[in-house]
Amino acid sequence: MSAFLLKRAGIVGSGHPDPVERDLLVVDGVIRDLGENLSAPDGADVIDAQGKILIPGLCDVHVHLREPGREDAETIADGTEAAIAGGFTRVLAMPNTDPPIDTGGMVTFVQSMAAAKARIPVSVAGCLTKGREGAKLAEIADMASQGAVMVTDCNHALQDAYVLRRALEYTRHFDMVVGVYPDTPALSDGGVMHEGRESFRLGLPGIPAMAEEIGIERDLRVAAAVKGRIHIQNVSTAEGVASIRRFKERGVRVTAETTPHHLLLTDRMLEGYNTHLKMMPPLRTDEDRDALLEGVRDGTLDIIATGHAPHTDFEKNLDFLHAPFGVVGLETALLCLYTDLVHTGKMSWGQLAASLSDAPRKLLRLAPLSLAPGHRLEAALFDPEGETTIERNTLKSRSFNSPWLHQTLKGRLTHVFLGEDDLLADSRTS
Amino acid sequence: MQEHTILDETDIPAVIRRLAAQILERHGDAPLAVVGIRTRGVTLADRLVQELQRHRGDVDRGTLDISLYRDDLDNLAALPHVEGSDISFDIEGARIILCDDVLFTGRTIRAAMNVLLDYGRPERIELAVLADRGHRELPIAATYTGVTVDTRHDDYLRVHFTETDREDRVIHYTPEAS
Amino acid sequence: MNPDSASPPRKDLLTIEDLDREEILAILDTAKPFKDLFTRSVKKVPTLRGKTVLNLFYEPSTRTRTSFEIAAKRLSADVTNFAVSTSSVVKGESILDTIDTLQAMKVDYMIVRHQVSGVPEYIARHTHAAVINAGDGYHAHPTQALLDAFTFQEVFPEMEGKRIVVAGDILHSRVARSVFEVMHKLGVEVGAFGPATLVPDTVPDYVRPLASFDEVLEFNPHVLYLLRLQLERQQANFFPSMREYHRQYGVTAERFHILRERGAWIMHPGPVNRGVELVDDVMTYERTLINTQVENGIATRMAILYHLTPEEQKRSPRKEVTA
Repeated sequence: MSAFLLKRAGIVGSGHPDPVERDLLVVDGVIRDLGENLSAPDGADVIDAQGKILIPGLCDVHVHLREPGREDAETIADGTEAAIAGGFTRVLAMPNTDPPIDTGGMVTFVQSMAAAKARIPVSVAGCLTKGREGAKLAEIADMASQGAVMVTDCNHALQDAYVLRRALEYTRHFDMVVGVYPDTPALSDGGVMHEGRESFRLGLPGIPAMAEEIGIERDLRVAAAVKGRIHIQNVSTAEGVASIRRFKERGVRVTAETTPHHLLLTDRMLEGYNTHLKMMPPLRTDEDRDALLEGVRDGTLDIIATGHAPHTDFEKNLDFLHAPFGVVGLETALLCLYTDLVHTGKMSWGQLAASLSDAPRKLLRLAPLSLAPGHRLEAALFDPEGETTIERNTLKSRSFNSPWLHQTLKGRLTHVFLGEDDLLADSRTS
Repeated sequence: MQEHTILDETDIPAVIRRLAAQILERHGDAPLAVVGIRTRGVTLADRLVQELQRHRGDVDRGTLDISLYRDDLDNLAALPHVEGSDISFDIEGARIILCDDVLFTGRTIRAAMNVLLDYGRPERIELAVLADRGHRELPIAATYTGVTVDTRHDDYLRVHFTETDREDRVIHYTPEAS
Repeated sequence: MNPDSASPPRKDLLTIEDLDREEILAILDTAKPFKDLFTRSVKKVPTLRGKTVLNLFYEPSTRTRTSFEIAAKRLSADVTNFAVSTSSVVKGESILDTIDTLQAMKVDYMIVRHQVSGVPEYIARHTHAAVINAGDGYHAHPTQALLDAFTFQEVFPEMEGKRIVVAGDILHSRVARSVFEVMHKLGVEVGAFGPATLVPDTVPDYVRPLASFDEVLEFNPHVLYLLRLQLERQQANFFPSMREYHRQYGVTAERFHILRERGAWIMHPGPVNRGVELVDDVMTYERTLINTQVENGIATRMAILYHLTPEEQKRSPRKEVTA
């Protein structure tokens, strides 16, 4: 029997904005009791959690694990270790691997690799179209039967509205959501950063906001017309948030996500041409950033997901025009959101739990994590007084293309509980 | 810092008159060019020319900026401001009196000669200085010397002219005795 | 002899944005004596003797490269051209590898031109050499802007309150961006004239967009600065044809007549597209400064080389200048 008692942890849940101090008794990985002044049974470890925050295990619905195909940049093992280091106890793996996940067989293949190599559960997304070519539907039913929970073509934004229509109609029979990266390639082609004053100043071709705005409008209108279930992956524009809000009010089944970096960073930070700030969609203006935060607060943007996109140093060491888009984010998500939003009072812990745990789990048709007695423990313990420095030799991911590289963020994860295991303890000793 | 006045406002004009007399004695009425090295060498040159022209015909005037010819540009705390040289007369075959306020290591004069020689081939170059403080690092000697001052290497010798410093004075600064 | 210290030593010249007004004026001030040197029979000074200057031109350019080469040689520096064959510059070849090679050669000054914005800055961060941006992507061309400012100042010693209009493809022009900035810092009012597709809303606030030649005349510039128009822009639908561009936005014969009557000055960074930006007669107009710009380019680039200090030569503070 393994037992431990967390004393006076600040319990976070989406039902209440602020942490509530409680004791938590866990026996054999299952919550035995939640209350005040609990006593530890014989042989139980006592963990002093006073001043620390216990958050439900985070769930990232937008992660590129790169395996199979680009194991130089990331593997399932390293990617999930990075997730654990960031407090995530579940991730949704994106299908733009090589070969892409566009059949039931590939879904099973990735699932079995994950089962063998990952210490946390990995859900799998499949491609919307064969080979992500945007022409023919992939075998969606087959993938659904193997447990895929989303279909998306990732950064191959569907150009053909007809294909999008058929995809949204077809998936209605399966418990699956259609994920889209909203874009209008004819307008965004060639661009490498947000089109605005900064792109003019830096002399780089821009990606106008309207490329995403038009993409969102189009995708949502199609979804509304055919009553499909659609999920907008990576929203970056204020107008985009406004569109989603409008369609939600009309009852369209849409969920939407944005990233921690879009909530915190803007195009003004691209001075210096740091390719660790180059991603798609790009960092935009202060107004967009503020609108995204408002969208998270009012529920228009249900989910915060990292879009974790590992790229090797060699890839990112190119000039800004040619370096690939994408940044890693699993290990910094909680830290940077805490440092710049929760710590400053702009976002509550409850909101954080909703956006990073409850809502992503709901997208995957999973119930929110509960700390009621009888439930398996799946949570992370966070010390707000600690600090974490983001360096190559501390990151668990294989790639280091993080906007926060070499920076020190407030807060430190001390434990990541999955049942009776503290996943952080095991990785520290290994 | 201890300061000691070597020449005051009555000494300096007298010294300059003596330098002019020596130049006249040697060159008489022959065509002459007086070239001052920026910055205070220019003042000395102006005063010398004024004095010379009281006793003889016109003298050519020139100004040298040696910033671009310095041998120590890599070691300076800041880059010298380049004003540029102004040599409007013909250097070829000219008799030049180079003027500077203080002669110390001789490196400035070396640089000044290089500038002049890049302009052309003078007949001869002579050197007039108000004060010679010794410690030569190159084999350079003044033809006309106002005053010789015995200094230590770490001392300062400053020439003040009313045109640039509101007084006429040559001052020798020595560090406080410890 | 006093060391007149202007600004603290600067290693690189990457953009005009990095320079404040004082530093710009100091560089222009230094360019004057360098220009005077040209009247002498020996056009060289020993200032950079023993130093190595490397031309790293990823984008071909005979004019700018030659201008830098002459400038460096007149300072007695040793100049080498690093032959970057365009075939070797492919995606996947890291600029960092090239820099490592160059670092090993212990070059003092690098003059970099690259088709992608930000590369000279990247190189400057990774090398001890003093890096001069000779043009990067659409971003900046600071040496061009400085020689243009020097030329402007020769004609108008009091620059404050004067007016300049930059005309042409502003969107894709690094020259425009740098000229805007340098003129603004020196107190010159700036206007921009060209097709609406090529004069974006995102120009700096102090630049006044002008929609027609009439508006240009109303703005009444002292100097009209013409940019070269590239044929590719026509293919990408920025404007329908060269002919229409010339008729609507170029210096046609009639417009030249008006400008000449007003005594306006014309500048152009070169090379000129005759019949597109301007008519032939402009080239022989006495107030066309194009050749002066080229001449001033060498003096200005000498001043810039003088003004910069590579990193390894750490300047140790000295109390006085040896006399």
